[in-house]
Amino acid sequence: MLELWETEVVVAVCPHCDWRYVVPTEKATLRCPHCFAADLEPVVDDVEQLPYLRPPELVTPFTVTKAVADKRIEEFADGIPFAPRDLNPETLRSRVQRLYLPMWLVDSDVMATWGAEVGFDYNVVSHRERYSDGSGWDTQQVQETRIRWEARVGQLERHYDNVVAPALEQHAAMEQALGAYALDVAQPYAAGDLARALARLPDRAPEAAWADAAPTLQAAAGEECRQAASADHIRQFRWSPTYTGQHWTLLLLPLYATYYLDDDAEPRPVLINGQSGRVFGVRRASMQRAQHTALIIVAIAAVLFLLSLVAGVAGLAAPPLLVVGGIGGVLALCVGLGGIIPIFRAWQFNRKPVETL
Amino acid sequence: MTQPFPPPGFIRVESAIPGIVVYAPAPEEDEAQPAIVEFKCPQCQATTAYSVVDGGLRCAHCGYYEPPARAIVGKGAQGFEFTVETLSIASQAHGWGETRQELQCQNCNARATLPPGRLTHTCPFCGSNRVLQQAAPQDALRPRFLIPFKIEANACRPIAENWLSSSWMTPKSLKQSTVAGFMGIYLPYWTFDTVTLAEWKAEVGHQETRRRYNSATKSWESHTVTVWRWESGRVRKFFDDLLVSGTAKLSRVLLTQLQNYDTHALVAYEPQYLAGFLAQAYDVPLEKAWEEGREAMRAATRKACRDQASTSQIRNFSMALDFSEESWRYVLAPLYLAVYRYNGQPYQVMINGQTGAIAGQRPVDWNKVWLAVGASVAPGALLSLIGLLGIVLGALLPPTLAVGMVLLALGVVLLIAGGVIAFNIINKARRMGDA
Repeated sequence: MLELWETEVVVAVCPHCDWRYVVPTEKATLRCPHCFAADLEPVVDDVEQLPYLRPPELVTPFTVTKAVADKRIEEFADGIPFAPRDLNPETLRSRVQRLYLPMWLVDSDVMATWGAEVGFDYNVVSHRERYSDGSGWDTQQVQETRIRWEARVGQLERHYDNVVAPALEQHAAMEQALGAYALDVAQPYAAGDLARALARLPDRAPEAAWADAAPTLQAAAGEECRQAASADHIRQFRWSPTYTGQHWTLLLLPLYATYYLDDDAEPRPVLINGQSGRVFGVRRASMQRAQHTALIIVAIAAVLFLLSLVAGVAGLAAPPLLVVGGIGGVLALCVGLGGIIPIFRAWQFNRKPVETL
Repeated sequence: MTQPFPPPGFIRVESAIPGIVVYAPAPEEDEAQPAIVEFKCPQCQATTAYSVVDGGLRCAHCGYYEPPARAIVGKGAQGFEFTVETLSIASQAHGWGETRQELQCQNCNARATLPPGRLTHTCPFCGSNRVLQQAAPQDALRPRFLIPFKIEANACRPIAENWLSSSWMTPKSLKQSTVAGFMGIYLPYWTFDTVTLAEWKAEVGHQETRRRYNSATKSWESHTVTVWRWESGRVRKFFDDLLVSGTAKLSRVLLTQLQNYDTHALVAYEPQYLAGFLAQAYDVPLEKAWEEGREAMRAATRKACRDQASTSQIRNFSMALDFSEESWRYVLAPLYLAVYRYNGQPYQVMINGQTGAIAGQRPVDWNKVWLAVGASVAPGALLSLIGLLGIVLGALLPPTLAVGMVLLALGVVLLIAGGVIAFNIINKARRMGDA
């Protein structure tokens, strides 16, 4: 089956998260672009037994160039107080991988009877008035838009193309993180598409994905029925559909993936939508770095305090030094109190809610 | 058991998308009604008319009776919203009967010309009744509901005679006058339902008694001061079936006195109700009537807001008022009209065809009025004069001075009271004559 990809590819699996990829042969041992916790291991035995090994029919191309992706990474890494040492544009850029995520598209003929309430907008005239003892009544005419709801039933015999159905269990989370993709720019798969990228293999069968496609299909049908009734709104749409002639298409969606290591040396993924450039990743300040900075400040304060103490003792003999000692003591106290600032800033930055995939 | 498709009462309508068939509920169609409905007895071919006693069509010749087809709808009568489309149409059109019409009686071939707005016609030659039903520019703008007559035409005469003799201000000879020829007419009315929501604020005065030390008299004195405090509140007021006359052809003053129609008795329009009566279409357009209705509503809401204040002493009052859930109906309401003559002058009398309330113009015997005015002020004037005389005589006969002063004071009080009574009498007399 792999020869259908028309390029030198192998199947590789991540031993940590079990994601499976089709990768160019020379990239078979790359770091897993999902968990970044382990290197991929090529699957050698029974490759042909793996499901959904067929190449995709359509690919949504990368429209975000590497330069734009680098800029997004710079923006992502910018403005984090006491950022982890690993969270810097250079490191992130050096780890960027191109990745394709799979998605099913289904075409289907539908015959159905349907019913709904459709709404028609209409304008009514109302009034708002103000009164004051000095100036009397001031009347303002206002127009309000209201909806008149009416029952409609009907029959439908339509063909629907490219209804989206997730091919990954994590599809909804990924879509929420990276935003939706415009599917109308998808192009037929070409061997060159996988030259510098990995492609994730689906983990959902079309039969399982159908459960998600059916509501989308119903929503599309509801919208068409609204248009058919020349209405402005539709609600309580219900139908009894019969589906025939279903055809499934595999589509690949582009994204850039990179990561950084946090304080605990845990990889934190940073993902960039390859079409819109939207970035997803956890921006965290390093409490370790903040604590180090705080310790340095406290140390400086301690030194200042010692010097003030010496000046104070010497002040017993030469009274002007007593003043120097006093000032030094106050300065040491201020600097020492300032030591809390780095920890507070890092803590405050990390209080922001964290979205995870 | 499978349900039929499409469901009963649904008809196919145009679809904007091929492959999708759309069915909508069939529009509620009123029975097709001819432009002119003529009322003839199916038994004897004599003219039939609506009988107030029976509440249906009755043939006076053979006694044939036909009950009305529709039941009372009352407050449930359908209201309409103030859509932009309706207001636009209503401002241009005047409901039924836009143009003057010529009718040829199918019974006796006599020709008659009807003024604009007339909805019924009774042939003056053979007495046959007709109801004219022309297409209105919008369904809502034809009379869809009416309050049927409850008072018989025969009952109007005694009501009018009682009314004529009920006031002492009218000439004595008026009691011998007869008011005859009461003509039943359905008048157009607009009814409005609305909720007004008002937020108000004002400075409200509170009387407070305070004590202060008067250094001149070296004593404590009490005095009352008005303390102004800001108050605010909210009022939600529901107006149900506020009636505004749809015609400007009759005295607004008299119509307002008779406007106590009970809209619980509203029935769906049927031409039978109009048989034998006159009926008039509206000539005051919806928007103008709504303006008048809103004026009444905002005055009532303003009063409700002021009543909410903790005292009646109010200044710097302001309020914001929102109208919501506005709806309207166009209805016909029953009225009897008659004109009687006294000393060659015509006077109009109107009787509410549902409640029997009466209003109208009555001649005023101004001699009686001035006599009453004189009688009101005379005791005060007389006492004042005697009092003055007593004071003058007090120079010669000192004990009369005190009596004179008491009588003068009493006389002035009586004079003021008499003046107020006289003012009211004159006002009432003027209203009676001007109505």
